[in-house]
Amino acid sequence: MRGRAAAAAVVAAIVLWPSSALAWDPFRDDGRLDSPEPERDADPAPLIAPPPGIYYVTDTYVADVVTSSGPVTTYSTTTVHESTGSYARVLDIVGTGASSAFDGSAFNGRRALGDGRAVAGTYYENYVLGAGGFVPVSVVFFQDDAELARLLAASPAPPAAIASPSAPSATTRTIAPACCAAERPVGAIVSRTPPPAKSIQPGLSLLPASASLAALEVLRGRAVSLYPRAFVEDREVPVRSWTLVAGDAGEALATTGSGSVPFRTSWRRLAPPDAAYQIVFRIEVDTPETGHRMVDAAIAVVVRSPALED
Amino acid sequence: MVLTLVIAPLLFVALAGVLQLGALRVAVARVRAAADLATLVAVNDQDDAELAKSGSLRLSADAADVARQYFARELELSSSLLDGGADAIAAAADIAAYLSAPAYDTRTGARYERPTVRIAAQVPVRTPVFGALVLRPVTTVEVLSVSSPR
Repeated sequence: MRGRAAAAAVVAAIVLWPSSALAWDPFRDDGRLDSPEPERDADPAPLIAPPPGIYYVTDTYVADVVTSSGPVTTYSTTTVHESTGSYARVLDIVGTGASSAFDGSAFNGRRALGDGRAVAGTYYENYVLGAGGFVPVSVVFFQDDAELARLLAASPAPPAAIASPSAPSATTRTIAPACCAAERPVGAIVSRTPPPAKSIQPGLSLLPASASLAALEVLRGRAVSLYPRAFVEDREVPVRSWTLVAGDAGEALATTGSGSVPFRTSWRRLAPPDAAYQIVFRIEVDTPETGHRMVDAAIAVVVRSPALED
Repeated sequence: MVLTLVIAPLLFVALAGVLQLGALRVAVARVRAAADLATLVAVNDQDDAELAKSGSLRLSADAADVARQYFARELELSSSLLDGGADAIAAAADIAAYLSAPAYDTRTGARYERPTVRIAAQVPVRTPVFGALVLRPVTTVEVLSVSSPR
């Protein structure tokens, strides 16, 4: 009995022992088998198995891309095959116009379609593996949507945005985002079309709520306050900051300030005859409606002084 | 001796007349300066509401009152030369404030391209030497001052 078992074990070992095949190799002469295999840049494997739902990032977020092809405007996300050592998990998959609990939390924001509805896409949360485990570091939104932007205005009944109502494409789903905005290789942006931003009308007024002025006629030495303002479709939007970028500031208290602080100054010197001081302010606006934008507001200031007539 | 007695009064009268004429010119200059200063001060204030609304320079609504007040103050400094109170002279003055431009002055016919304050006044100045010389003891000086911001 013992001998039969030993014999079976020997036979099994012989059968299962690995050995090279003795078949003829047609590429044997070109030496390809002798050369080492090219090394691939294998993605570093995680040292610790992530919890369920969290996976290792192999494709890094680059930028939000808005492209237009005829009447179709496509909102997508570009990535680069790169591992930054971070992890990610899906937070929420949102459809066109649907709100999410994570709206406003993504560092890259969430765009809006031409009709104002938010684009579809997926929220991811990024993690880094620290000594204490997986630490969340940021939230990124991968947009994936499209619309017939030009037809929206022409059609009597505005149709809903087309394509990808909620679930992004499979290729996007296999991509995991990287951790944070600082890792965004800006140079890798291929084609970034500015969002359908609304035009901003800058203005300058002497009171916080008075009419915007294109020209100002003040007496020499008179103190005035100019409030840089911004309007979108005749509706005022908050000004984040302003900076005097050109012109004679006179006796200005400051040449830059926040939106709530006016530009205070007075002019003690007169401009040359038949001339005016051209003052230009750069106004910073950053609202969800407009995005982060800079607009310039100019005003011509005529400084006058009492004089006797002949 | 006779020649001296004849010529001396004539020289005295001539000298007194010259001195009175000089004093009159000084008085006229001071009155004119008072009117000029009053108009300059009056146009050195602008309407805040109009400035905020249109950005243009419009004189303050009390420009005429300011001009009259300063005219009286400046005349007060030359009260010894005047035949009358400074306030009364200023009150009788024709002071017009053209708060916005263009404007037409009905008194002078002038057209003002900018906001303007105008003072037209008749200021009585004492000329006692002229009175002693069988002339008018009071000489009325007409003064016209126009000012606008330029």
